Amino acid sequence: MREETRREAVWQFLTYGFILLGAVVTLVPLYWIFVASTLKESEFLSSTDPRLLPGDSFLGNFGALHARENVQFVGRVGEMTQYVDLGPVYIAYDFWNLWNMGAIESSIFVAGIYTVLSLLLCSMAGFAFAKYEFRFKQPIFYAILATLILPIQLLVIPLFLLMSQIGLTNSYWAIILPWLANPLGIFLMRQNMRSIPDALLESARMDGATEFQLYYKIALPTMKSSLAALSIILFLFQWNLFLFPLVILDQGKYTIPVAINQLVGAQRVYYDQIMVAATLSIIPIFVLFLFLQKQFVSGILAGSVKE
Amino acid sequence: MSNITLDTIRKEFGSGQDSIVAVEDIDLEIRDGEFLVLVGPSGCGKTTTLRCIAGLEDVTSGRITFGDKDVTGLRARERDVAMVFQNYALYPHMDVRRNLGFGLKLSTKLPAAEIDQQVEEVAEMLGIEELLGQKPKELSGGQQQRVALGRAIIRDPEAFLMDEPLSNLDAKLRSQMRTELQTLQHDLDVTTVYVTHDQTEAMAMGDRIAVMNHGTLQQVGTAEEVYRDPVNEFVADFIGSPSINVFDATVDGARLDGPGAFTYHLSETAPVERLDTVRVGIRPEDITLVDDGIELGVNVLEPMGNENFLYATLGHQEVTARISPTNRPQPGRSVSFAVDEAALYLFDPETGDSLKTKRDGEVPSGPDSIPNREGVQSDVGTGAGTGSSTDPIEETIE
Amino acid sequence: MATRDSLPGPDPSVRDRLRFARQSVGELVPTPGEGIVGYVFLLPAFVLFGVFLAFPIIYTFYLSFFRFNGVGNDTLLWIETGFFEYKLTSIADLEFVGLANYTAMFSDSLFHQALFNTTFILVVQVPLMIALALLFAVALDASFVRLRGVFRTVLALPVSANLVAYSTVFLLMMQDAGLVNYVLTAVGLPAIPWLTSSFWSRMTIVGAVTWRWTGYNMIILLAGLQNIPQQLYEAAEIDGATRIQKFRYVTVPQLRPVLLFVFVTSTIGTFKLFSEPVIINGGGAPLDSTITIVQYIYQAAFIDFRLGYASALTYVLIAVVSVLSAIQLNVGGESDA
Repeated sequence: MREETRREAVWQFLTYGFILLGAVVTLVPLYWIFVASTLKESEFLSSTDPRLLPGDSFLGNFGALHARENVQFVGRVGEMTQYVDLGPVYIAYDFWNLWNMGAIESSIFVAGIYTVLSLLLCSMAGFAFAKYEFRFKQPIFYAILATLILPIQLLVIPLFLLMSQIGLTNSYWAIILPWLANPLGIFLMRQNMRSIPDALLESARMDGATEFQLYYKIALPTMKSSLAALSIILFLFQWNLFLFPLVILDQGKYTIPVAINQLVGAQRVYYDQIMVAATLSIIPIFVLFLFLQKQFVSGILAGSVKE
Repeated sequence: MSNITLDTIRKEFGSGQDSIVAVEDIDLEIRDGEFLVLVGPSGCGKTTTLRCIAGLEDVTSGRITFGDKDVTGLRARERDVAMVFQNYALYPHMDVRRNLGFGLKLSTKLPAAEIDQQVEEVAEMLGIEELLGQKPKELSGGQQQRVALGRAIIRDPEAFLMDEPLSNLDAKLRSQMRTELQTLQHDLDVTTVYVTHDQTEAMAMGDRIAVMNHGTLQQVGTAEEVYRDPVNEFVADFIGSPSINVFDATVDGARLDGPGAFTYHLSETAPVERLDTVRVGIRPEDITLVDDGIELGVNVLEPMGNENFLYATLGHQEVTARISPTNRPQPGRSVSFAVDEAALYLFDPETGDSLKTKRDGEVPSGPDSIPNREGVQSDVGTGAGTGSSTDPIEETIE
Repeated sequence: MATRDSLPGPDPSVRDRLRFARQSVGELVPTPGEGIVGYVFLLPAFVLFGVFLAFPIIYTFYLSFFRFNGVGNDTLLWIETGFFEYKLTSIADLEFVGLANYTAMFSDSLFHQALFNTTFILVVQVPLMIALALLFAVALDASFVRLRGVFRTVLALPVSANLVAYSTVFLLMMQDAGLVNYVLTAVGLPAIPWLTSSFWSRMTIVGAVTWRWTGYNMIILLAGLQNIPQQLYEAAEIDGATRIQKFRYVTVPQLRPVLLFVFVTSTIGTFKLFSEPVIINGGGAPLDSTITIVQYIYQAAFIDFRLGYASALTYVLIAVVSVLSAIQLNVGGESDA
């Protein structure tokens, strides 16, 4: 056994070393984003002595970022434009203006709404494909499937024209609506819903449930984990959208990617501010990821399992 | 081809407090060319033992030798064994021809032409030559099984190891393959270790049977030995279908008092001398219905065609009997039976060791039946019938 | 059921009453027939799909034969009643040019450059990333379960990073005075002009994309690996296979469908590259060496406003991607539906 165990040990060492190396390489950029956001630009952009430990300029950088005119990363309190003056006190009731949304809020807001609505839509459609028979079911499904191959971002040209016509340019709906019926989402929902036992639905029908109740009270609860996984896919999809928002959104309604792009393309590039923006964009999702690992992973796998 | 020796084999899973001892203290010798069946209930350690022989598991302590070569430290691929898995484990992406030839390709230096020829030969032997171009998923269960067999045969190994290969087949195919396997093994004369949980299968195949329970070897012997002369109550109960009837009885001198109307007078009291209670065992076929015997209440009668199974009660004890097909007692009625003393089994109520077994009327000298002994240790000359068991089998020496 | 409608006992609570009301409303809604129900569920999704996905596909194709002259103003439809007015204007002002857009591609050098860049990245990055992902997956598969979970999480972290945000970090790290060059010079190697050289700027993108997606693909491959039945490895062991032989004869063939999937999706993903090159280019990398096809289409469409041409480009891209995917599926896959 001597010979064997030694060779085994060598393999083990190599294996773990390799993994460790990968982990380090993975973490370095992430660490760097964070560190750079806490330093002044001059401190980390030096080829002779970049500082590797976090500094104390985070707030300063953040302040500078916040103060920029053309890019609003985090929101500000807005002006209360409508209010009722009751003498000693006044009550504002134009809540929409209370808080001017910055890029971060916009992204969260848009991604959140998108996720909820898309979940609803995709699960309904998936339910339909999985459990019901109707004419043209197959062709429609294949049509939806076919679009998976296409890089959907490429269809922005007509979308842009469409949005101009409808008058939705520079509005959040412009980026929420187009991919609400997410082909991947529909596909996944259908795959997962197929596993709901027909007998369950039949007996519910016999008990007098309406079709919608079947969907709402049986299908959805059973699919909780798939829904969780899908919601992560959808959220990240919307969160990362860059091309179309770049085209269609204007000042005041930027999402994170567009905002950062503005920072990078500006006349004078302030890397420390950019890093603050990057940190704010990435860290929350990381934390989310750490807590929801299982769902993340099953979301990734969900798209790849072949039947 | 050589004999296989297991010397005080112990296999533990896990470590420290959570360790599970799967196999404990096994001493076993399998002769060259022998077909040995390892049988026992689920979880008894038989598959683990097999995997230790194969080299797929390392033993925690003990030695395994093939002939005079110590293989304990060797990996599976260095031991020159072949294995047939329960699920066949055929390589799904290779066709049958390549599945068969794979082992040769990897472990020998034969040229491709030579390998092809051997593949053809083995395929013919098993009747699968028409399937050579197909992939495993295109084959039926029985065909896949033959391919798995072929894969083992073609390697011409030191030993065949089979892990319940027939359990995935339907009943008819199973009995057909059973006979085929035996003929094959006999023709090829390769040492074979065969694991099954089905005692009928064990009895039918196999030169010798090794009965295991809870990780230990209970008894090793021919089918007949194990049946007629079980070493303890477990073996007696495990082997034989329907199972032996066993119940408690109080001892009063030469008289046994059991459940219901059971009373028996022993002529030979040596086995029960120092005991107050004893476990009595009667095999179903030894129950003879007579007019004036011990009373049984009839529950169910199962006609089997060539015989009838009678399920009855003796007091609170359920009893099974095999009776002639012409005898059809009505449920709810009573019948009475008698049993020959020679056919009676007696077991120690605490240890389960057998005190008296069916050996053509011969009674072994005293309660010295030790578990884990091999075959029948008889210094008493045996009577007719128990032929091959008289070969004294060498105990492995520590 | 008549006797059940009014049971003796406590009066129905408020919640109960609401439920009764809801149920009676539900009874009013007609139960759709067998074939219709499916459609009802499908409807919202289908409508949106049709308008925002199906229509654009068709319209892009249509557009590719035209020259775009501005957002449409011609009234197509005008409904006017006393207090209600609806005006449907055409979407775009178009001028038919036949195949001119397509032929223009042949002489467009920037397009060729974009094509070259994208292909370069495809050829370098995808195999590299998949090889790495496979190695990591194999390594993790062989590790202790506990460590496996931790490392899998760590290696998969980049997946959750915002595309644009992480690109900025690479932009920063690859500066002449940035972290990477610092490390290189510290070990004695020369500093590399990551962002200024045309070759190295492409490698920057390769590096960034690899960093981002390796973990993702690793997770998929790892799942595939863990699906391989242990008994196959045991059978191979008994047949005499060494570690490497097991990998070659059991692991790789069994992984084939998963590998294929990963290859195809990565290829499609490469052709979609937009965020990374835009940011890295925006930070100073030469446009010519890093511009990708999608980036070029964007430029043509929304900076030059040559929508017709951009549509034609889009369709060429779609065609290329489809053909590549089809080839890969054919070469790589055994036919199992």
